Amino acid sequence: MSIPKLQTGIDAFDLISEGGLPVGRTTLLAGSSGSAKTLFGAQFLAMGILKFNQKGVFVTFEEQVEDIRNDLKGFGWDIDQWESEGKWTFIDASPKEEDVITIGEFDLSAFRIRLERAITKNNAQRVVIDSIGSIFTHFPEHNIIRQEMSKVTMTLRRLKATALITTERTEEYGSISRYGVEEFLADNVMILRNVLTNERRRRTIEILKFRGSNHVKGENPFTIVPHHAIVIVPISAMKLTQHASNLRVSSGVPELDQMCGGGFFKGSIILVSGATGAGKTLLAANFINGAKEKKERSLLLAFEESKEQIFRNAQGWGQDLEQLEADGFLKVVSTYPEVSSLEDHLISIQELIKEFKPDRIALDSISALTRNPSEKGFQEFVVALTNFLKHEGITTLFTATTHMLTGGASITEGDIATITDTIILLRYVELTGEMQRSITVLKMRGSRHDASIRRILIDAEGMQIGQPITGISGLLSHTPIVA
Amino acid sequence: MTNYWIQLYINRNSTTSVGAEENLNAILKKYFPGDFQLEIIDIQEHPDKAEEAGILAIPTLIRKWPQPEVRLIGALTVQTRVLAGLGIANVDHLLKQKEE
Repeated sequence: MSIPKLQTGIDAFDLISEGGLPVGRTTLLAGSSGSAKTLFGAQFLAMGILKFNQKGVFVTFEEQVEDIRNDLKGFGWDIDQWESEGKWTFIDASPKEEDVITIGEFDLSAFRIRLERAITKNNAQRVVIDSIGSIFTHFPEHNIIRQEMSKVTMTLRRLKATALITTERTEEYGSISRYGVEEFLADNVMILRNVLTNERRRRTIEILKFRGSNHVKGENPFTIVPHHAIVIVPISAMKLTQHASNLRVSSGVPELDQMCGGGFFKGSIILVSGATGAGKTLLAANFINGAKEKKERSLLLAFEESKEQIFRNAQGWGQDLEQLEADGFLKVVSTYPEVSSLEDHLISIQELIKEFKPDRIALDSISALTRNPSEKGFQEFVVALTNFLKHEGITTLFTATTHMLTGGASITEGDIATITDTIILLRYVELTGEMQRSITVLKMRGSRHDASIRRILIDAEGMQIGQPITGISGLLSHTPIVA
Repeated sequence: MTNYWIQLYINRNSTTSVGAEENLNAILKKYFPGDFQLEIIDIQEHPDKAEEAGILAIPTLIRKWPQPEVRLIGALTVQTRVLAGLGIANVDHLLKQKEE
């Protein structure tokens, strides 16, 4: 039988923990300095108050109460107000200025009595102790502290409080905690990490164990955003449950719709791969413009060009995106990929989608987002993003840049090709001494499609798709041969 | 006017607390003839006071006066260290005064 869980209210956390924290138990939350332990604890209490009307007790052994109140204001949590309503109680055990001298044996019964009183007074269900490591630095008598803290956990258990106790780690990948705290707090252990990879901080949360209960294994990236605090990206908890639509939507280019057997599937993910200048952004602009007919809304996420540049270029292809925006059918968000981490990009894209509710999205280009992060981070980002888009049923077109002018796939595509439904290649081909642009539909999941390689022409009307290039083989493998 | 104001926070259920009380009384009797005010506070009866004073460990002795405040934690088993903690630097001098 599985131990019942207490929903924390931290959305994705409840997903990866398969329901929340073990109810009435104490969970150890270990993390290096700056890994957001205090914030996670505070969020656990704040969500309890905001979402479930459950009261909380926050014990601080480290930071001063006033500092905590101020820090948490940034997330929109009014601790003062909650304190006056008896929803949030501080136990201030932070270091003070007076000298403390230890002479002989002692116990922490005063702390236990204060804790019990704070919990029972307002009938608190959630308790956070931040951090246990600091008690060890207050008192050099570690044997006594270990014994006393284990009594504290028994008190918590007797009072049926669902508790989080934070503790320090010295290394990101080493022993669980300093002072061997896990020896008496071993039932439920979680780890917060803040790792520097490729000059970027990557935060993750891992549930190491919940005794007698299921949870998702492995590290899940998270980010900290104003007004939401910790937002977890639940990579490993995602399920392939999206249903596939049979509805078709226009690509904005009638010939391309024909090649795809009647248009893109609604809610599908389309990857457009091509070298620079091969027509990717044009195809994205066409795709956006194609939404016009059915009065659908589009979101254009530009990571390479500014809004003005895009509008000007589209003008040259006979598309008035500016008007589309003025009519409220288009939103263009142009950002440098470097301004934030991939997790932050993901969260802000999700926010944008929830706010604007687009029917289709063009992201130009996904390759620009690979400029910084580690390979694993990028894959996680793409998986999480496509998963979210599919759940929302948004038809999405990613563009990806290949480094070579002619020929096959690039690294970016290799990473994401398997999770896309449709792949379109835009390639330069060398034909009778001329560089020509070509288009081919490489893959179209769930539909027949035209497999020919067709010539394309870009003029003042946009993209014109011509006849299949016949009589020549090896076009995409560098060595065309006239048959 | 008393020269010393001392508070001792104890928990009657704990043996170390009882020991601390005895040890402190012995020290006070020997070195502080009458010029002190001692409060013994049982945290079981007065948890509010423990909260207010921010007590964690039991027993805790607080020298409230003279300022600055000093806190001694533990069973107060070593007399010389308790005296030093309370700010009695020259024990011999005190004893001499007592004899006179």
